[in-house]
Amino acid sequence: MPLQPFSKSSPLSMGVELELQLIDPHSLDLTGAADDLLHLLERKPFPGDVKPEMTQSMIEISTDVHNDYDSLLAQLRESRDTLVAAGDKLNVRLAGGGTHAFQHWSEQAIVDKPRYQQLSELYGYLAKQFTVFGQHVHIGCESANSALFLLHSLNRYLPHFIALSASSPYSQGEDTLFDSSRLNSVFAFPLSGRAPFVLDWGSFEDGYFRKMEATGVVSSMKDFYWDIRPKPEFGTIELRVCDTPLTVERAAALACYLQALCSYLLTCSDPAPSEDDYLVYNFNRFQACRFGLDGLIVDPRSNRSQPIREDILQTLDKVQIHAGRLGCRPALDEIRRILAEGNHASDLRRQYAKCRNVKGVVDAAIDAFRGKD
Amino acid sequence: MLQPIWGDLAIPFTLLVAWLLGELGQRHLSLPRITSYGIVGIAIAIITHVSKTLFQVDDLWSLTLLSQVAFGLLLFELGYRINFAWLRHNPWLTLSALVESAATFAAVFCVARFFELAPVPALLLSALATATSPLTLLPVINELRSSGQITERTLHHSAINCVIAIIVFNAVVGYWVLANAGDIFNAAWNSLIVLFVSAGLGVLFGVILPRLLDLADADEKQSTIAFALAVTGLILVTHSLHFSPVLATLLFGLIARHYRNVRHQAQPNFGVLGGVLIIVLFVHLGSRLQFDTLLSGALLAASVLLVRFVVKGASLLAFARLSGLSLKKGALSGAALMPMAGFGILLLELAAQRGLAFTDTLASMCGLLLIVDLVGPIILRRILIIGGEASKGN
Repeated sequence: MPLQPFSKSSPLSMGVELELQLIDPHSLDLTGAADDLLHLLERKPFPGDVKPEMTQSMIEISTDVHNDYDSLLAQLRESRDTLVAAGDKLNVRLAGGGTHAFQHWSEQAIVDKPRYQQLSELYGYLAKQFTVFGQHVHIGCESANSALFLLHSLNRYLPHFIALSASSPYSQGEDTLFDSSRLNSVFAFPLSGRAPFVLDWGSFEDGYFRKMEATGVVSSMKDFYWDIRPKPEFGTIELRVCDTPLTVERAAALACYLQALCSYLLTCSDPAPSEDDYLVYNFNRFQACRFGLDGLIVDPRSNRSQPIREDILQTLDKVQIHAGRLGCRPALDEIRRILAEGNHASDLRRQYAKCRNVKGVVDAAIDAFRGKD
Repeated sequence: MLQPIWGDLAIPFTLLVAWLLGELGQRHLSLPRITSYGIVGIAIAIITHVSKTLFQVDDLWSLTLLSQVAFGLLLFELGYRINFAWLRHNPWLTLSALVESAATFAAVFCVARFFELAPVPALLLSALATATSPLTLLPVINELRSSGQITERTLHHSAINCVIAIIVFNAVVGYWVLANAGDIFNAAWNSLIVLFVSAGLGVLFGVILPRLLDLADADEKQSTIAFALAVTGLILVTHSLHFSPVLATLLFGLIARHYRNVRHQAQPNFGVLGGVLIIVLFVHLGSRLQFDTLLSGALLAASVLLVRFVVKGASLLAFARLSGLSLKKGALSGAALMPMAGFGILLLELAAQRGLAFTDTLASMCGLLLIVDLVGPIILRRILIIGGEASKGN
């Protein structure tokens, strides 16, 4: 299948996808309730879209296209409330978080859809271990070349999003010591990681995609699990490194921080992206996954390093004016709050310290998603 | 010379055989374990019927107390899985359980009267038929680690219809005592007071134990031990005071769930302890089969089964969409409500121990239903697999 032409979209518009956990309120383990929940949700219009994901215990919601924080947050809240009400009717709980704290990957059932069954056959246990939950943010780009420019310019800011969204410290019942253990599951896939350094869409299409397609390894952009990838059919770039936060408020804030950052990058105030930027890409990525906001970020141009928290604070100053123009200043207030109070991974660890049981961690995640204090 | 030794070994040996057959049947024939245990129990009943020497009836009664503890643990677990909030959020589900119970009771009463059963046995039979036996549901659900709408709805329906069955059963007993002895105190004791005190004890245990677990800061394993001890204690207390251990343990579970701290949950199936006691319970149930009167109520039993199937199935189908379920899953949930005999037999056994001897005719009929009930776990297993709710066994 040839690469689709890059559609037009409104520059800096945004959309959010959230993969959510379906939880049994008795055992607090994941439960294969996707079909039942979707069956119930089909009866009424859903704010945005909702669809099944890889396993029966996951569900994915996506918003419409938005331009500002208020409308994005309003729709996310509406989706959340609709889901929670449907869950209450079926005795199913919903939660955010990049991983479920104690589910056993081997017990997950793959959704009965040809694409997921093929993936399961190809990737074996990796497919079931992919029972992790991410937030994807789409940013509209005016052209394909602009999309590739943004994609590569964002590479040095990628750790910000990993650290700010990190909410998967527990996996298979243990503290992984990572703030975001979810990305380790993603990294196991052969076509994960970074996109090739190409800034021209024609070269990307002819020089990279077609060659890869000819090898038979990929047939569409969906087969790439890159941290940021272009999405030609939407005319967007898609940031895929975020864990699903525990609250929709944080999900909206992350999307708007990305929107403001993209707006800033499009002014070309930063040095142009280059292949050498990727020298420290994996190191920075690891630091953000492992240590969250306390991790180090290395600038490959100056060779200086500083805590990710500091780097975000400096970036917030740079993007503030853009946020004001885009109507997403409250989102930056939420980002500042994260820097001061810690990310959701630290919230979950605090919860564990209080109840010393991973079930308590899941319970807290359920309450947080519902919007309870 | 051998007889005394065999006398001591007969029961443990039989339980070991039941365990082995349970494993082999599960591995090679995909049979739920409890079906194999029940078959071994029926084999004992046959042997005892043919030869009185191989198994002493007194030895078999040694299983009774352990069985009642197992029964109590299952009822507690059923109560512990009930989410009151769900019943509040989904009133159609609650209504469907109430309608299903009332309709089953009325339909079975009509059938029993049609077969010319006297009013009191007919009412008692209707009460027993209202309940869906958690004895079959929970072991199969735990064995398959199933979760989903069929699983949850079957359990919630079972809890509601069991409570209704126990209340009606005791009310009828009160009426029977009043009609036979004309003794108002005795009648009230056997119905109202038994119900209230049993419920009160269950609630008391349900309120106190979660607090004790908080105090002891018990983990899941220790909480399981504490819950098992509490259930055993509650059974012994209600037993010796002639109250209803069934209602007490069920309510204990319901209330303990309400006050639960996720840190102190009991393990599903009470871990290894539950596994052992379930063998005892089902061997015991099978061994209670009475051959002398087995066929006397065959036609009535078959009619009751058919009527229950139709009424429960129709009720769940009627409420399926209103309560947020697909028609397919509604029908499967209705079919999953079929098991009844195990609960009925133990309820009658407990009533007999309270000196209420009206139950012989019903017990013989439950025997026949028990044989049918051994097929129940096989069907339930298929239902949960077809419904896509089984984690194991696919």
